Amino acid sequence: MATKILVAVKQVIALDEDFEIRADGKDVDADFFLRDLNEWDDFSLEEAVKIKEAGGEVEVVVVTVGPEEADESLRKCLAKGADRAVRIWDESMEGSDSQAIARVLAAAIKHEKPDLVFAGVQSSDHSFASTGIAVAGLLGWPHAAVVNQFDFSLGATQATIRRELEGGVLQMMNIDLPAVLSIQLGINTPRYASLRTIKQAAAKPIETLGLGDLSLNAAEVGEVGSASRVRRMYIPEKGRAQMIEGSLAEQAAKLAAIIKEFKGATV
Amino acid sequence: MIDSLSITRTLFEDFRPLAVTIFYAIGYGAIGIFLWGTWIQIRKYRYGTAYAVTGTLISRFKQMTGTMLTHRTLVRRDHAAGGAHALIFFGFALLFLGTSTITVEYDILKPLTGMRFWYGDFYLWFSLVLDVAGFMLGGGLVFMMWRRGWLKPPKLNYARPDRSPADPDYDRSGYRIEDWAFLWSLLIIAVTGFVLEGMRLVWLQGRPEVWDYRWWSPIGSAFAVAMRDLGLGAETAGTIRSGLWWFHGLIALAFIALIPFTKVKHIFTASASLMLRDPLAAQRLPRVPDSQESVGFSYITDLNWKQLLHLDACTKCGRCHEACPANATGAPLSPRDVILSLREFANKTLASGALPDQVELDIHGKSPGQVSMETLWSCRTCMACVEICPVAVEHIPIIVQMRRKLVEAGDMDPLLTKTLQTIAKTGNSFGESKRKRGSWTKALATPIKDARKEPVDYLWFVGDYASFDPRNQKVSQTFAGLLQEANVDFGLLYDSEQNAGNDVRRVGEEGLYDLLATANIEAMKNAQFKTIVTTDPHSFNTIRNEYGDFGGTFEIEHYTTLLRDLLTSGRLEVTRPLGYRVTFHDPCHLGRFNKGYDAPRDILKMIGCELIDMKRCRDNSFCCGAGGGRIWMPDPVGVEKPAQNRIREAAFIEGLEVYVVSCPKDLTMFEDATKTTGNEGRFVVRELIELVREAVASPVVLEAPVEQLA
Repeated sequence: MATKILVAVKQVIALDEDFEIRADGKDVDADFFLRDLNEWDDFSLEEAVKIKEAGGEVEVVVVTVGPEEADESLRKCLAKGADRAVRIWDESMEGSDSQAIARVLAAAIKHEKPDLVFAGVQSSDHSFASTGIAVAGLLGWPHAAVVNQFDFSLGATQATIRRELEGGVLQMMNIDLPAVLSIQLGINTPRYASLRTIKQAAAKPIETLGLGDLSLNAAEVGEVGSASRVRRMYIPEKGRAQMIEGSLAEQAAKLAAIIKEFKGATV
Repeated sequence: MIDSLSITRTLFEDFRPLAVTIFYAIGYGAIGIFLWGTWIQIRKYRYGTAYAVTGTLISRFKQMTGTMLTHRTLVRRDHAAGGAHALIFFGFALLFLGTSTITVEYDILKPLTGMRFWYGDFYLWFSLVLDVAGFMLGGGLVFMMWRRGWLKPPKLNYARPDRSPADPDYDRSGYRIEDWAFLWSLLIIAVTGFVLEGMRLVWLQGRPEVWDYRWWSPIGSAFAVAMRDLGLGAETAGTIRSGLWWFHGLIALAFIALIPFTKVKHIFTASASLMLRDPLAAQRLPRVPDSQESVGFSYITDLNWKQLLHLDACTKCGRCHEACPANATGAPLSPRDVILSLREFANKTLASGALPDQVELDIHGKSPGQVSMETLWSCRTCMACVEICPVAVEHIPIIVQMRRKLVEAGDMDPLLTKTLQTIAKTGNSFGESKRKRGSWTKALATPIKDARKEPVDYLWFVGDYASFDPRNQKVSQTFAGLLQEANVDFGLLYDSEQNAGNDVRRVGEEGLYDLLATANIEAMKNAQFKTIVTTDPHSFNTIRNEYGDFGGTFEIEHYTTLLRDLLTSGRLEVTRPLGYRVTFHDPCHLGRFNKGYDAPRDILKMIGCELIDMKRCRDNSFCCGAGGGRIWMPDPVGVEKPAQNRIREAAFIEGLEVYVVSCPKDLTMFEDATKTTGNEGRFVVRELIELVREAVASPVVLEAPVEQLA
């Protein structure tokens, strides 16, 4: 029996310095989105692929919840050594929070029946840091967060892990399997996927699943299925910084003027 | 009167028929061994992958012969060794031709037709020429011995920068034995030839047809006269001659038999290598065919047959070793050692009729014959090695092909990995937003046309450094101002331009290069322009030489030729000759790669600068260290960087005011190196564009456009 590792990944949004907020004020304008695989997921995928490469029968399946654009990130995962990629999407999933996403992932896990589930500690765009843990909760599986070392032999019922705690403290623990682990940056060195392998991975199929395939209904996902809703997204007022230029004397004079201005004195 | 027919040398004079038969048997045996050895070498090359030779063999043969007869590549940067080689080469060639001439008469013409020509005047001139040839050969050999034994130039030291003294293949002492054996055996053949000649004269001194014409063999007869005066009798001379004859003959035949197994084979391999020379080997790297499963070189059998042949052409002359900027600054790379390692590897694994297991063919690693990752990543792809190699060995394609394999396996510096990912994501190495590519133009009073929206004469391909690096942005703004003042119609691709890919390709990330080149070509095709101009030699090279393979053939020039034209035609006028004492750094990709040595120098002259070239200039320019993607990799700490080495060279120029560059990366590298070598304040680093700006202080007022006059 092959050991199956499911890696939950997310295509995140990165932003340039210049961007605009959407007209409804609830998100950044999609025109400014730069999409990429979540940084943490690079590490969790690498950890799974390393187990596969260490020998034995291991299947690495990457799963994401997202629209068609997310295929690009899944291809990158296939290029880096994932065996299969699954993308779950339905229009109704738009606006899901981490709980709703976890519900979809938990359904996918029941469908795939993996022996291990890896997730990133958090996503770089929304930073909920709760999806992986929520999945474990929904499944009733053991879980561990912020894992930075993972030791496991194929077929074992337990794994030894090391976690990062506050103040630089490390914790070693055993965990029963199957389990959900959220993986921390630095646990390994993610490999480089050359553009060529990514291009070759384009030929590999990406399975797409919808609500029905996972026996979910529209009320369990999207905004209606979420426990939280975005009210407003905005850029806070920035403080001012100014480089004072000129000769030393000029600089000093300018600085004095600024101080006086703040004090409210007249020059 | 002596019958001219008797003025000749009787072959095998006084030999018993059996002796002659034995000699012929040994001769045929030697030729047999030679042929067998040749077949082993050919069989080795046949293990390589396919390579299609372009152009006609005749034109290639002509070019090779020209190179060989002029010794053009051999005298470069080492006149003495080149000259000595010429003595050996021409001496050897004449002696070989002479022996062949005798064979033609004695073994072919005379037995078949009874015809003879090797007598009389022809014979006498023949004797004289061959004596001179023998003298040349001996003289050349003696010089080479003196060079190896006493001069000991550092480039002939085989100690390797990529191995430590404890490694078994550290100094390749085996090669030194071979070098000396080669010199001594040839010298012994030459000297015994003269002695033999002298002994024959003493022996046959009684025959006027021999003795009276002795001075046609000046060296042999000088020796003969001396020996005779010392009391050597004819009979003794005859005995010595018989013994020496066999000694001389056997060494010569052994020499022939051993050609394919020793460095002597360079007679053939170097000629073939020169004939197969690709003049754009470093400028235009090989494309990976779409059908090819794996990328790059993993195994020795991934090299093509031409490259396997190149490995055998190397004569360890050390010119590349000396020219390599990585080697000069202590990096674990010598182009010579890459070639020799792979040669040794090929000789070990491809010598038999069957291939060993594939694992045995892996050329990556640290075992003898393998090339390590550290070595491959030390290369700046500056082309100094390829350019100076006298026998046309092409190191760079091999190094880049091996790097392609490393990139595929992810075996590279983490910073490089990051940069490649950044370029894939944003299209530039600075990780800036695509939209900001044209931001530097905002500081200009007159906006620059968008070549995607309106036709222009010149499409300016700006490149990453000139677009995003703050120091270089200033240069770009200055160049734009100059073009505007000269009323040049030009435009940009703005955010449709991406990294040109030159260095990405030289790193070995061919997939990413393909993506960048294709995107740029598409953007260029969507714009209307006559010529591309760029201030970046790296972009210049790849667009000029490599985009063609990806479907984009464009006319392109480096800004130096455009500025020279503008200055020559008076569209830019020098109003303030500068009078600076300057030196000019030839960028690898403008100079060696594309032979753009003159335009920048012409400009410097036109703007009134006094140019003092550094010793390493033009084709011997010393790389700043940024090429081949090295700008994205950290240099080891505490070791001299190539740019520092270069600035120290410039600092020797008395009264130097400006170190002139014409490449954005050079500006960055050398401004930094000027500070770190403590030369700040002694001289400044300037882009040539900035000097032109200074010299063309006030804009030339040109005729107003017609509509304004109306």
